[in-house]
Amino acid sequence: MLGWVFGIICLISLVFAIATGNTAGLSNAVLDGAAQAVELVLTLVGIMCLWCGIMQVLEDAGLIRRLSALMSPFLRVFFPTAYRTRQGAEEIAANISANLLGLGNAATPLGIRAMQKMQAANPDPSRASDDMITLAVLNTASMSILPSTVIALRRAAGSAQPFIIVVPVWICSASCAVFALLLSRAAAAAGRGPAGRKPRTGNVVSGAAAAATGKTAGGAASGAATASPGSRGG
Amino acid sequence: MAGFFSSLIIPVIVCAAGLIMIAGGSRFFDSFIKGAKTGLDTAVGLLPTLVALVCAVSMLNASGAVDFVCEKIAPAAAVLGIPEGLLPLLLTRPVSGSASTAVFSALLEKYGADSFEAFCASVIMGSTDTLIYVITVYFSAAGVRRSRHAFPVAIAVMIFGIFFSCLVCRLFFPRV
Repeated sequence: MLGWVFGIICLISLVFAIATGNTAGLSNAVLDGAAQAVELVLTLVGIMCLWCGIMQVLEDAGLIRRLSALMSPFLRVFFPTAYRTRQGAEEIAANISANLLGLGNAATPLGIRAMQKMQAANPDPSRASDDMITLAVLNTASMSILPSTVIALRRAAGSAQPFIIVVPVWICSASCAVFALLLSRAAAAAGRGPAGRKPRTGNVVSGAAAAATGKTAGGAASGAATASPGSRGG
Repeated sequence: MAGFFSSLIIPVIVCAAGLIMIAGGSRFFDSFIKGAKTGLDTAVGLLPTLVALVCAVSMLNASGAVDFVCEKIAPAAAVLGIPEGLLPLLLTRPVSGSASTAVFSALLEKYGADSFEAFCASVIMGSTDTLIYVITVYFSAAGVRRSRHAFPVAIAVMIFGIFFSCLVCRLFFPRV
C-alpha cells in the first residue's frame, strides 16, 4: 500500500517538474525531504516518550479497567450480539478505553482480540457480523483524549498555543464516534430489513444466514428476555 | 475560557500520573519508564517510513503538482466550506498515518501553526484515523473476507468528520 503511494507520488512529481521546468527544485526537494523526516521524528520523540510513559502509569493504575466498566452500559446498546453472547465484550470496552487514552499500541491488539472472539461466535465466518463492523468503523474515528502528536507538531511549528485545538478535537471526535455508531447500526438494520438491498447475492446459504442473524440480532431487544434469559443475564 | 481549559488539560493529566506515583510507590515510576521506552521505539520506528513519505511529499510540493491540483479543486472546496490548503491532507489522511503526518507538517510550515488552515487540519488529524489501514488490519486478523458495509460507513464517517471539523473550527477560531 505505502509502496504504491510512494511510487505514484514520485511519478507525478517527476512529470510535473519536467512539465514546469522545475527539475532543480525537485532534486533539492529529495535531499531536503530526507533531512526533514529526521527533524520531524526529533520533534516527536520527546512527547511520545513522555506521553506513553504517563499513559502506562494510568493504565497500570487500573484506569482502562475502570473506564471499561463505566462504558459497558452504553456499549451494550451498540454491540448487542457481543454482549449477549459474552464473546469479545470485555475486549471491546478495553479497546475503546485504550483508544481514549491514546494507547495505540495497546488498543490495536485488544481490538484484534475482540474481532477474533466475535468471529468465533459468528454464524457465517466469511461475512463480518454487525458488531464486528461497528467496532472496526469506530476505530477509524480517532477517539484519543489528547492528540499528543498533533500538539507536538504544532508546538514545533511555532504555535503560541499548541493545545488550543483540544476542545474542538473532543467535540469532533465525540461527534464522529456517535455518528459511526449510529450509522453502522442503521446500515446493519437496512442490510437485513424487509427492503434489504441484497439483489447481487444469489447465494442462498448466505441469504439464509443473513435472515437468521437478522432475526436474532433484531429480536435481541424485545425477544432476548424470553428467548434466552440465561445467556443475557450471564 | 476554552483556551484556559485547554491549557490545563496536559498539566492535569501529568499531575494525575504524579499523584499515582506518590500514592502507589516506586513501581509506578517503573511503569513510566516502561511506557516511555515503547514511546521511544514507536517514534524511532517511524523514521524509515517517514523518510520515504516526507521525501515524496516534499517532491510533490516542489514539482508544483499540489498547487496545480488545488487550484483546480479550490472553487468546489470553497463552496463546501473547506479551505483550499487542506486538500492534500484530505487525500492522504485515509491512506497512511505517516503520509498524513508529513503533509500536516508541511501544511503547518506553509500556512503557520496558528492559521485557520492549521486549526482545521489539526482538528481533522485529531478526530479521524487511517481508515483503510484500520479496517484492513481488523478484518484480516479476524479472517473475514466480506466486510459488507464497513467501508461505505467508515468513508461516510470520515467525510462527516472533515465537514464537521471545518464547521467547529469556524465557530472556535473565527477567521481574522
